[in-house]
Amino acid sequence: MRLPKPNLILAFSVVLMATTSGIALADDAKPFAGQTVSVLLPSPQDANMAADFENATGIKLDLQTASWDDVSVKISTALLAGTAPADVTEFDWSWTGQFAAADWYTPLNDTVDAATLDDIKGSTIFNVNGKVLAIPYTNDFRVMLVNKKQFADAGVTVMPRTLDELVAAAKAVKAKGIVKYPIGLPLSATEGASTSWYLLTKAFGGDLFDKDMKPLFTAPDSAGYKAMAFEMMLLKEGLVDPASTGLKDSEINETLFAKGLTSIMISGEPGRLGAYNDPAQSVVAGQVQAIPVATESGKTRSFGLLEGLGIPRNAQNPEAAKEFIKWMTSKDYQIHNYANGVLPTRTSALAELQQQGKLVSGEALVEQAPTVEALFPSGAPAWYPQFSLAVNTSINSAAKGEITVEQAVQRIAEAAAEAVKQ
Amino acid sequence: MVLPILLTMGGLVFYPLLSTAWDSLHRVNPMQAGTPFVGISNYTRVFSDVEVGQAWLNTFKYVVIAVFAETVLGVLAASLINQLKSGRQWVLAAVVLPWALPGVVSGVIWQWIYSPGPGLLNGLLVMIGLDYEGHLWFNDSTSAMLAVSVVHIWRMLPLTIVIVLAAMQSIPGDLYEAARIDGASRLVMFRNITLPLTRGAIAVAMTNATVSAFNLFDEAIVLARNSLETRPILLQIYLEAFKKLNFSYGMALSLMVTFISLAISLGYVLRIHRSTRLD
Amino acid sequence: MKEPRHIRLGIWAGVALLLAWSLLPIYWTLASSVTPTVEFNARPLHLFPEHPTGEHYLRLLGVLDGHMGGVDVAGEFRLALFNSILTSSAATVLCVLMSLLAAYAFARLNFPGRQVLFYAVVGTMAVPGYAVLIPLFRLMVSLRQIDAYLGVTLIYVSAFLPLCLWLLKGVMDTLPQSLEEAARMDGASHMRILFSIIAPIAAPGLTAAAILTFLGAWGQYVVPLVFSPKNTKPLTVLIPEFAGKNFVDYGLIMAGGSIAIAVPCLLVIFLNRYLISGLLAGSTK
Repeated sequence: MRLPKPNLILAFSVVLMATTSGIALADDAKPFAGQTVSVLLPSPQDANMAADFENATGIKLDLQTASWDDVSVKISTALLAGTAPADVTEFDWSWTGQFAAADWYTPLNDTVDAATLDDIKGSTIFNVNGKVLAIPYTNDFRVMLVNKKQFADAGVTVMPRTLDELVAAAKAVKAKGIVKYPIGLPLSATEGASTSWYLLTKAFGGDLFDKDMKPLFTAPDSAGYKAMAFEMMLLKEGLVDPASTGLKDSEINETLFAKGLTSIMISGEPGRLGAYNDPAQSVVAGQVQAIPVATESGKTRSFGLLEGLGIPRNAQNPEAAKEFIKWMTSKDYQIHNYANGVLPTRTSALAELQQQGKLVSGEALVEQAPTVEALFPSGAPAWYPQFSLAVNTSINSAAKGEITVEQAVQRIAEAAAEAVKQ
Repeated sequence: MVLPILLTMGGLVFYPLLSTAWDSLHRVNPMQAGTPFVGISNYTRVFSDVEVGQAWLNTFKYVVIAVFAETVLGVLAASLINQLKSGRQWVLAAVVLPWALPGVVSGVIWQWIYSPGPGLLNGLLVMIGLDYEGHLWFNDSTSAMLAVSVVHIWRMLPLTIVIVLAAMQSIPGDLYEAARIDGASRLVMFRNITLPLTRGAIAVAMTNATVSAFNLFDEAIVLARNSLETRPILLQIYLEAFKKLNFSYGMALSLMVTFISLAISLGYVLRIHRSTRLD
Repeated sequence: MKEPRHIRLGIWAGVALLLAWSLLPIYWTLASSVTPTVEFNARPLHLFPEHPTGEHYLRLLGVLDGHMGGVDVAGEFRLALFNSILTSSAATVLCVLMSLLAAYAFARLNFPGRQVLFYAVVGTMAVPGYAVLIPLFRLMVSLRQIDAYLGVTLIYVSAFLPLCLWLLKGVMDTLPQSLEEAARMDGASHMRILFSIIAPIAAPGLTAAAILTFLGAWGQYVVPLVFSPKNTKPLTVLIPEFAGKNFVDYGLIMAGGSIAIAVPCLLVIFLNRYLISGLLAGSTK
């Protein structure tokens, strides 16, 4: 498993490395030496980031970190208040529409070259009307995470490629009594429930909206409808823990999957694998791996939840901020930062990690990477937070049996219509 | 001397209150330019909004459950404590304790008690031989509503007890003495002396209970997050304003809550006032 | 006159039930905070921790490594504890001082609009805080007071001023004017009279007002959730976050909760008399 098969490397190189160009990290001149740049990112970050950055550019780094939720609140309150939260901040994919509508961020078109944008394919989702508002630095696309030891114990040797095989594997694990609820799926009224449904909608071969932002998930034969019905079926069959109606995705990750209490994370984050396979912090080390998202047809699909770096309009030191973004999204740093659980956004960096055999579950990631789509091809709309709230609220109600799948998709469609109208 | 208080209240209460009323008639959304006048559409929108409707319904349920339980249990508990000859102070201190704790911390404490695996509630029920191992209290709308209400009642009951108890203590002892000589039973004395003379206090306690049940937020968000089945109107307002950024819609909703809770409270006071006058 | 035995028994049983209802959740919090994590799922339930441990507290206070999922929990907790103490105390001092001044003026001085102003201020007790939340947010934004100690403290003060004013004016109305008249004859200023004569006599009332304000500010959640997102975040906002971040650690949550409830518990135990009198004055509007 450690070394990829030659043909994979070949396919990988063709698909991903074709676009790679040499990334020359600035020249030796350090025009901004002695200045300071403030940066606000979710924790954790590399402990030596400040020293490394100063060595490379001569710029002092004032790094503030907090949990993603805190960072999100801090950024939006500061921006609503008309101040810059920092010179460089986290810029989540889901904020794109809101932030673009409010014109809160400086376009970065001149900051990075075309080759870089090409190497970082995900940057298109931060591109609004030709303005690149952020550069992705962490590649949180979704895969499925499975506990292969539990699969093996249940006699499942071939990794599932279709949803039917996935359900069969889960049933086998449950039948053997290895775990009580083999599938981890958040069903609470939180963001994780929304993103899992989006992923399953893709897995059923569909999309959320058409080009005119008309909902595509209300008809019973639509992918979104089938995805939600699938979630309810998993719950009813006892494959998903009924307590999931009160659990966030991070809780399911940490208290169930990482503890060996569930075998499959439907919407898994590949970045977490490093920590889960570290015997020092995990009881499932060596047991877990990523597989490409199983789909109805067997042809895998996924989508990216990229996090980027952006510069707020009234940042105090925008020039140094640009240097920071260039540095943090450079190929060298991305390869270095993988050790901290940050999956590179550059296909060239991914390829190099894979060639060196450093990528955990590299094969799966390599297979998944080219299939990653944007959830909203033209960027997250301004009303995304409102839409997402309706999605997870309705899924939560349906999972508790308060409303039917039909009512749930109907409510989501109504909320989407209401949101678009405003 | 009154300047500091007037400045603070004027700046932080009266000005924002007027501003709320004004903005609720406009469209205010930081994502959209301009604040056009929209008349009362922020108010009429309430009637077609499923989520808001559900949140209103939940809030009314909370009010009914909480006011009923707090009044009945509060009067009962107050008369119990009133019978104590010694240690009354200590019992009272223990009883007041839940009220003094931060609402969210009570929520967190009860979340732990309700939790399916290691929770105290399921543990105790299993201990007495019931099949509640791993029972989920929040997967059914009725039991989830009740679970949230219990936490709210736990926190607010002390206030009712204290108010009613004070009224009971001020009833002259010779009234009971006279009744006892007439051979009245405890129940008769409670109905004919205690209740009529504490009516005013009960009305005050019910008013407090109503207003605080309309303000329920901490318990619901901690115990059941954004779940629609338990979402009170105040959580809906919070989500409208700070998640969806519909500032003016949120303001219209908050004014409606203010008026309705005031109107209901006033209703009790008038009713009780009238019935005491008839006596 | 002796009461019949069965009635006394009934009363004591009722009181025992009442005490269990009030105290059991608090006891369970304390018990859980010293229970080792591995024993949380033990069945049958242990009502008393079998192997008490201080581990959760040590991690919370940073004696043991307080990092969880890359987050410096111990550091955050210390900051939040400090923030809670600072904002609650500052709000209490400001609120009591301002309402003492105003109560004196409303009770003793004659100025136009006295009645109207008094009832206008006290009347805001009936206005729920969230009715002004959004404009307040925009106001604080324009004053650059989001995530600032001054902003959130002033909001607490404005929330508890009416109650304190009502309470202290009630106290002053009951004090005989004769006490001050002698001082006034001697030419003492209003301030002098207020602080050297009235304040000491009104001490119980001041204490009651202070406890109510402190407890109220200590328990605030919605206001700091909006106005104190990070650097001024209090315990009430931090503790629920323990359950929802990259880790779930109930031992830590219960230890944090125990510390957050210790302060109100101590106030209730030692100052219950004042608290009850304050509650009564405050609720019988």
